[in-house]
Amino acid sequence: MARLGRMGRIGWAALALAACTALAASGCADARADVPDAELRAQALNQTLMCPICPGESIDQSQNALAAQMRGIVDEKIAEGWSDSDIRGFFVERYGPAVLLEPPREGVGLAAWLLPPIAVALAAAAWVMALRRMRRAAPAPDGGDPAPQHGGSAGYDAGGGDNQCGDEGDDRRGDDGYENGGGDDRDDASDSDRELQPYYARIEAALGGEPREGDER
Amino acid sequence: MVETGQIALAIALIVTGYAAIASFVGAWRRVPELTASARYGFYCAPALLLVSTCALIYAFVTRDFSVRYVAENSSIAMPHIYTWVAFYAGNAGSLLYLALVLAAASAIAALTMRRRLPHTTPYAIGVMALILLFFIAIMLFFANPLERLSFTPPDGQGINPLLIHFGMFIHPPLQMAGLALVAAPFSVAMGALLARRGGRDEWVDVGRLWGMISWLVLTMGLMLGSWWAYTILGWGGYWAWDPVENSALMPWLAMTAFVHSIMVQKRRGMFRMWNMALIIVAFTLAQMGMFINRGGPVPSVHSFAQSAMGWLFLAFMVGTLIISAAVFVWRYESLRSSARLEAFASREAAFLGQNILFLAVAFATLWGTIFPVFSEAADGGAVTVGQPFFNLVNGPMLLALVALMGVGPLLPWRRSTGRSLLRALLVPAAAALATAIVVIAVGVDRPVAVVAFACVALAVGGIAHEWLRGTRARHRRGESYPAAFLNLLNGNRPRYGGYIVHLGISMLAIGAIASSFFSVQRDIAMRPGEVATLGAYTFQYIGARHINRPDSAHSIAAFDVYKDADFVGRMEARRAFYPEFRIASTQGAIRSTPMEDFYIVPSEFGDDGQAVFRVLINPMVWWMWASGPVMALGIVAGLWPHRQPSPAPSPARVPGGAQPMRA
Repeated sequence: MARLGRMGRIGWAALALAACTALAASGCADARADVPDAELRAQALNQTLMCPICPGESIDQSQNALAAQMRGIVDEKIAEGWSDSDIRGFFVERYGPAVLLEPPREGVGLAAWLLPPIAVALAAAAWVMALRRMRRAAPAPDGGDPAPQHGGSAGYDAGGGDNQCGDEGDDRRGDDGYENGGGDDRDDASDSDRELQPYYARIEAALGGEPREGDER
Repeated sequence: MVETGQIALAIALIVTGYAAIASFVGAWRRVPELTASARYGFYCAPALLLVSTCALIYAFVTRDFSVRYVAENSSIAMPHIYTWVAFYAGNAGSLLYLALVLAAASAIAALTMRRRLPHTTPYAIGVMALILLFFIAIMLFFANPLERLSFTPPDGQGINPLLIHFGMFIHPPLQMAGLALVAAPFSVAMGALLARRGGRDEWVDVGRLWGMISWLVLTMGLMLGSWWAYTILGWGGYWAWDPVENSALMPWLAMTAFVHSIMVQKRRGMFRMWNMALIIVAFTLAQMGMFINRGGPVPSVHSFAQSAMGWLFLAFMVGTLIISAAVFVWRYESLRSSARLEAFASREAAFLGQNILFLAVAFATLWGTIFPVFSEAADGGAVTVGQPFFNLVNGPMLLALVALMGVGPLLPWRRSTGRSLLRALLVPAAAALATAIVVIAVGVDRPVAVVAFACVALAVGGIAHEWLRGTRARHRRGESYPAAFLNLLNGNRPRYGGYIVHLGISMLAIGAIASSFFSVQRDIAMRPGEVATLGAYTFQYIGARHINRPDSAHSIAAFDVYKDADFVGRMEARRAFYPEFRIASTQGAIRSTPMEDFYIVPSEFGDDGQAVFRVLINPMVWWMWASGPVMALGIVAGLWPHRQPSPAPSPARVPGGAQPMRA
């Protein structure tokens, strides 16, 4: 029953959230109806055209006189019945392709559009491959047995695996694991460590009787 | 005074150079006396730079135009209060500011880590000192903020009027501080790597601490920058994917990935190489940010600190990248993971996926930002890569990240069974579905917007579910609901602090989604007395006042605004023109409510009394600005130190999710 109650409450919360966003959205949809179609079209177009003398700013955004003039031209052309691409073409003819705020989808400009999706695809592939490798990978030699070192206790799994218990946080138990792991300073003193021991002692002496590193753990 | 500053700067150069050399040599030859001396030397750097900074501020406040930088970046007409902060508005002064922040943060980092990481600290100080050395050297040899002119001009040239705004007090310094602070976790990580300690996870807590601090500062810098753009640049928007904005966003993206994946190393001893690689990437991107801001190849609206020395920053960026990559390869073997991934459906895997997505966004942003340069080099002619491109390319990825923010935290560490996963995801998924249905029901007809709102609902639903569940569990054990909630949050601050930040991000996302899909704008020409309507708002143009100042002409338009026939108030929008700079700055009249902003900005005032206004209704922008404090709260909660348990218990019983700040 408690479960149902909880679900119900969350359902209500979700609905409230949804209602808020919806209300705002619908209010604005109404306001949008006030704006003539030609003006909406002009705004959308303006946002794709760059003001040639204020780099990076669209003519919709720019306060510059030239931008205002270009906005006027867009309005005119729309009134004359030009299509969007014709209007863009009109400006490209005068100011070059750089007047468009997005690179052309052809030639060198195509690279701008293609590389990000390719990168995402490669990244996704890399993600899967890395996960596979990490599943197979043997732990590092200095790590010793991974289970005791990084919190592989059964108790932890119970907490972590069943994440339902909320605050009786899996995190806590996980941290036990971490603390265990932290203890590796002593059990795996490698050659380089032994070689460094006198150095550490001197550092600690220089630090003036601060607690030894071992104590801190 | 100015000469004192000059001398302090020169001493800072020597001291920092000594600290770099002595620290490395001392660490390498194992001479603790030498590393200690380097460390104490390094502590002097912030003090010396503070002296220089004070000298520069003094020159500004006393309007000492014999100092070249003061003459170039202030004028008699400048309001007095701004002379206190004008010193970071230009290139040389902002370098001094950067160096000061870098030195102070590095010194604090060195102070706090020297006992916990005795082996790593000398190397980390060496790295920090080298970075600092670069900035000081640039100032002394290329852009000295304290250089005197051979004569004293009667008045200075003044400052870009867009900078004369309250946002100026906070946005640029926070933004620059954020970029500088990325150097701290980077230095700690490099120090650990150089000390062959990268495979032990002892540096992780210090790295995480500084990573989160720099993340917070970067976040606040970005938010205040947006807020500044929204209130003063006067086009009704807050983000335009401008190259400089992008260059500040990229390190933020990489740092976001880093503060997440560092948790995997902290908890599981995994991702050691990945974290090193991430922090190197983040630092490189921060350098890239400085490079683009200071004479980079891409033109931008607000290259306020433009200079001809971009190449120096480029060289420094490439240099640090090559060197740190080389160190990484050299110490590669020490970074082997000590644990194995157990299942794909685990939090570790989700973190890695999130990291990769963040880097993909950063890459796409970088690619779009530098593509014009690339295109010209490849003979593709001049092209522009602007807002439409970034919205289309980055929008879906950012949305996926929001959705992942809902799912990821619900996955347990190590592995999850199908059933528990299903149970954990049921509620957020229901919330997402409910939102989608409601949103469609009220007439939102754009599929992307519906999906976007559903993604946010997924994230918020997941968090709310976690909180409710935890609170109820505690309530059942006899705590009252408020106490149970607070104890829940307090019991595992890193985790619940993270949730608070996620909640902030959700608020940000709601604002961004609502305002980018449902913003309405009109350009309306009005004469005094005329009335116009937009949505629920009716507004009457009362008239304009014109004020002439020595450096500028201001026109202030007044409106009586009604919403649904209720009088809302009189609103004033301002437009100022600075003839000397030929720049107009506008300040919108904004009435902000959680539901929507009503925004009027004057575009032009005609001679015949007619004026053109841009009127906007921006839904839910309020939530974006409100998310800033929420995120800050979350970070502070997540970093708040745990009390040291005493006496030192057996490792198995150390409570809490976080390592104490000073273990």
